[in-house]
Amino acid sequence: MTTKKEARARRALFGAGSYHGTGILLAVFFLAPFVITILSSFRHGTEARLPPIPPWPTNGFSLDAYRSLDSFGAGVWQHTLNSAAVAIGTALLTVIVSLLAGYGFSRYRFMFKNALFVLIIATLMIPFQSILTPLFIILAKLGLNNSLIGLTLVYVTLQLPFSVFMMRNAFDAVPKEIEEAARIDGARDLRLLVRVLLPLVLPGIVTVAIFAFLNSWNEFLAALVLLSDNSKFTLPILISAVRAGRLGAIDWGAVQAGVTVMSVPCLFVFLLLQRYYMRGLMAGAVK
Amino acid sequence: MADTGVQLTEVRKSYGSMEVIHGVNLSIPDGAFVVFVGPSGCGKSTLLRMIAGLEEVTDGEIAIKGREVTDVDPSQRGIAMVFQSYALYPHMTVRDNLAFGLKMQRTDKAVIDERVAAAAAILKIEQLLDRRPGQLSGGQRQRVAIGRAIVRQPEVFLFDEPLSNLDAELRVSMRVEIARLHRELGNTMIYVTHDQTEAMTLADVIVVLRDGRVEQAGSPRTVYEDPDNAFVAGFIGSPRMNLLDAVWRGEGKVELGGRAEDAPIAGAGLTPGDKVTFGLRPEHLIVGAAGGIEARVDVLEYLGGTRYLYCQLTDGQPLIVEYRDGPDVRSGDTITLGCPSDRRYIFNEGGLRIR
Repeated sequence: MTTKKEARARRALFGAGSYHGTGILLAVFFLAPFVITILSSFRHGTEARLPPIPPWPTNGFSLDAYRSLDSFGAGVWQHTLNSAAVAIGTALLTVIVSLLAGYGFSRYRFMFKNALFVLIIATLMIPFQSILTPLFIILAKLGLNNSLIGLTLVYVTLQLPFSVFMMRNAFDAVPKEIEEAARIDGARDLRLLVRVLLPLVLPGIVTVAIFAFLNSWNEFLAALVLLSDNSKFTLPILISAVRAGRLGAIDWGAVQAGVTVMSVPCLFVFLLLQRYYMRGLMAGAVK
Repeated sequence: MADTGVQLTEVRKSYGSMEVIHGVNLSIPDGAFVVFVGPSGCGKSTLLRMIAGLEEVTDGEIAIKGREVTDVDPSQRGIAMVFQSYALYPHMTVRDNLAFGLKMQRTDKAVIDERVAAAAAILKIEQLLDRRPGQLSGGQRQRVAIGRAIVRQPEVFLFDEPLSNLDAELRVSMRVEIARLHRELGNTMIYVTHDQTEAMTLADVIVVLRDGRVEQAGSPRTVYEDPDNAFVAGFIGSPRMNLLDAVWRGEGKVELGGRAEDAPIAGAGLTPGDKVTFGLRPEHLIVGAAGGIEARVDVLEYLGGTRYLYCQLTDGQPLIVEYRDGPDVRSGDTITLGCPSDRRYIFNEGGLRIR
């Protein structure tokens, strides 16, 4: 009997070991680039120009790379603020519009509803690079070229098809009875949407917000084409300028610092919102 | 009209060109427990939802306590509804679920607390008030859903198959509880179900619906003992009434499987040779009656207190017999069946009862 018990214990240990071992290995693969980048962004100015092995600072920590990054463009703060304004603005606007559109597409009956919905989804098939020129012309006509507001509006437009689709699905998943119960309880229109339905589609909203934020935070081409003023550039343009180097010399330390500055907010946004993103809130509503 | 709880006048509902409710007239006395039954798709839920205001009325009028509410918002009709799927707000605690409707009406906080506490006491859910629906069992969720209806203090309670999601045991206890609730509150209640045990046990009035029409409305006893037509006769009662093809012979006789059987009617409106339907309830058939109808037992179901015999008449028509006690019967046996004459039902070719 003891041998059987031992064998079972050994099997369990092996199972747990291989499970966690694989997990740790994968985590190392995913985390290594971040760790290497962040560590090497703290190397001394001279050390930063050397081949990056080992990747960590050998002569003590220094903020040289960040100082050097700040000397590019209009200063790293200005560009970070630009990026944050555009990304947060995009996320907010996208959520508001797609929330209302998703609700409408999910719950109301109107003419050409399905045709319109297919049309919206179909725009996903158009690579946005191909409409960059018309977009530029439209923005110029509206007086919104070279402005962060114009760029935000373009990002919202690009983000909307996916977001509307996402929110329609989120609303479709909410049982009709909950809405009807709320109507009997006297909640109508906006109050119904905010007090009852909003908490139920929160995972959808968070998903839309995360995608809108990350996509607009990282977007490069449209920002490069639509913005022409140095002080209005967003972070990806700054990084590309840093990466292009000055007088043929590339400051790798500054590049690493730039990458760090860019990835930290994304990390925060995701960590902050992921618990809503993961959660199925519908449990217990029906059945 | 003060003693009319709910009045439906020529109520119709169409989706596009398809009419699903065909001019329903119904007067529900104040304080009555009314059950809508019918096969699925008969429009019973649609009718309930029209009373609730969740479905628009295409034509006709609905009045609650003498007030016309055909185009009134659901929240202003003085109704409360309990859904089959409970439809609790999953992001709110039980307390907030109960209070939500009152908050929407901007009721005073003290009044809300008082009513929530009262409803919780009635349903014995006081200890659950701070939980969320996700942490409750099915029966508890259904109690909360009923509680949400109670706090609104409605004129009329509407139940849309409230017990269908519960397991058999819980269904019985909740059924008793709903009956108790009706006795305590005394409100008009309209209850939709396809379960005829629920219908028979709860109802003061049963409304049998088919294809958007009222087939019969009456007390459980009336619809069981004195059905207006073959549909109601077959729908109410379990196992269902045996509806056998027969021919009217005149002078109080029908021909069934080549034999003449007594029929308890004068036969007004029938001429000898007319096809009729001969209705016999399984529980009224007496096995071993001398000179009765002959039948061969095909299958036998033993249920402890009773046995169901699935038989075939000599002309091949199927027949179910409920057999309580007596000598053993085995499949393959031939038995003779009798039936008291006041338990024999005759329906004409259109399915209408001939009395």
